[in-house]
Amino acid sequence: MANTAKSGAMSDKNKTSARIIRYSPFYVMFTPVLIILILFYYLPILGLRWSLYKFNPFIPEPVYIGFENFMTLFKSARFWAAFSNTLVLSIVNLCLSMIFSVGIALLINEIGHALAKKFVQTVIYLPHFLSWVVVAGIFALILSVEGQTGGFVNTILIKLHLIDEPVYWLTEKKAWRLIWYIANRWKETGWGTIIFLAAVTGISPDLYEAAEIDGAGKLKQVWYITIPSLMETILVVFILNLAKVMNVFESVFVMYNEMVYDVSDVIQTYTYRVGLQGGANYGYSTAVGIFKSVISLILVSAANYTSGKIRGRGII
Amino acid sequence: MRQKFSFRKEYRGRTIFVILNTVFFIFIMACMLIPVIKVLVDSLDANPAYGMNFWPTQFTLDAYIIILSKTELYLPFLISIQNTLLGTFVGLAIACIGAYILIQKEMPGVRLFSYMFMFTMIFNGGLLPTYLVVRDLGLLNTCWSVVLTIAMNVYNLVLMRNFFEQIPASLFEAAEIDGCSPFGIFIKIVLPLSKPALASIGLFYAVAAWSEYFHYVLYITDNNKFNFQVKLRSLILDGESLSGDYAVNVETIKNASIIVAILPFMFIYPFCQRYFISGVTMGAVKE
Repeated sequence: MANTAKSGAMSDKNKTSARIIRYSPFYVMFTPVLIILILFYYLPILGLRWSLYKFNPFIPEPVYIGFENFMTLFKSARFWAAFSNTLVLSIVNLCLSMIFSVGIALLINEIGHALAKKFVQTVIYLPHFLSWVVVAGIFALILSVEGQTGGFVNTILIKLHLIDEPVYWLTEKKAWRLIWYIANRWKETGWGTIIFLAAVTGISPDLYEAAEIDGAGKLKQVWYITIPSLMETILVVFILNLAKVMNVFESVFVMYNEMVYDVSDVIQTYTYRVGLQGGANYGYSTAVGIFKSVISLILVSAANYTSGKIRGRGII
Repeated sequence: MRQKFSFRKEYRGRTIFVILNTVFFIFIMACMLIPVIKVLVDSLDANPAYGMNFWPTQFTLDAYIIILSKTELYLPFLISIQNTLLGTFVGLAIACIGAYILIQKEMPGVRLFSYMFMFTMIFNGGLLPTYLVVRDLGLLNTCWSVVLTIAMNVYNLVLMRNFFEQIPASLFEAAEIDGCSPFGIFIKIVLPLSKPALASIGLFYAVAAWSEYFHYVLYITDNNKFNFQVKLRSLILDGESLSGDYAVNVETIKNASIIVAILPFMFIYPFCQRYFISGVTMGAVKE
């Protein structure tokens, strides 16, 4: 092109401006995207200053109060409960998801019949595409107390004489977490197997042949070849998800209720409640949000570093 | 490595495993399907006794007719469809344009733009400051608050960029020599070559937009602008009552609305499964 031919004679500055002119149509195309990015992601960052203010819809002007919101935060029992719930729910769920997804991926891999395999995959991926509202709705209906003996689950439990009358499980503190774990596994286990199945398929058949010649049985092959070969994928998936432990939100938000706040309230739901639902304490909610963001930032950086160590590249 | 299905001694271990594995997967599939089938059965039962029946005691389609004929139920459904189409279209436009810019390695500022996208993945203003911005922009109670939130998805944009990066640079050069403008190259070369990625990422957007719940609760207070998911939750979990009297039990309507929320997806899922999966492996293999 004409520009490139001349560029040798031009100074650095001219080269840049020539490149800007050459790329001007790209800037025009990009402007709307950039505007939306700034409006939805960068403008809110300026709003972080509200954490230092007393600010709610009922006072005319935000009042500067220094770190008082953070002081209230660290003294609040509700906040610490939400923080520990976040950690417990996310980490237990993450461990369960690894065990179930890896295990089921290994077993799917053993299905010899191609069509059967395809069918199993189609069925178990399905719940992933249902929204959390639908999943919560389905669980609420099968756990229902309506009708003579309640929903499906209550009826079975009564038939087995484990309970005498229908229990509304979603408001039961002792049962809520278990139900939440089950709902998560129901929705995401199948989908979680995809990445491990891809990794299993990538293992060289030579390894298995060699093992067979050496007289290793199927179980030994899994233990000494499949699992070690999967280890890197397992670690990476684990770390990636560990970086997201603070993000747990919608699944809890659609399933929890006032009766079970003690065991279900997480940082994100707490931020929403104190900021917009009832509380309307904008300053305090922003402070909780900052706490969450900082912990997340640390976790993501740590994950990025570890991922760099394991597979030679980061996650971002 | 195909082995014989036989109980002779040398095959016995394998055969027992195959049987157990089959039983296991039948059990797993039953766990996945029974809750959905149960909801479907109860949605067709005029008087859902719940319980363990897998056939309606008193068959009726009334619940579905009510959903189709009652404004407070079909309006949210139409809003869901409208915003899913909008969100998918705007989302794809943003992802494609953003990705196309990010592969212009010579463009001044491209590194800055790239960092600007990546930074949002590790840090953001959080829920309340974002809410205040949306409020101050006057977007509360408009569909754009939700549509733009769905559409600006950096993860999808990065997936798209990875796909664009595989297009051979020689194609761009040839088109440039032929006098094709950047926008022309985008429309005539990049997009037609990226059909599989457009399908995968478009489906991601569609599923996300259809499932969206929280941002409606957050940004919308007008009862006539909620989508079907919001309606569904208030109906089932918050025990919202419907106005008027019906021939069918309100429980039947609850079950039927779940089926209605799942239905559009069930139609496309069997045909699009490979696009969903290729989208996942696309993200996993390279970043």
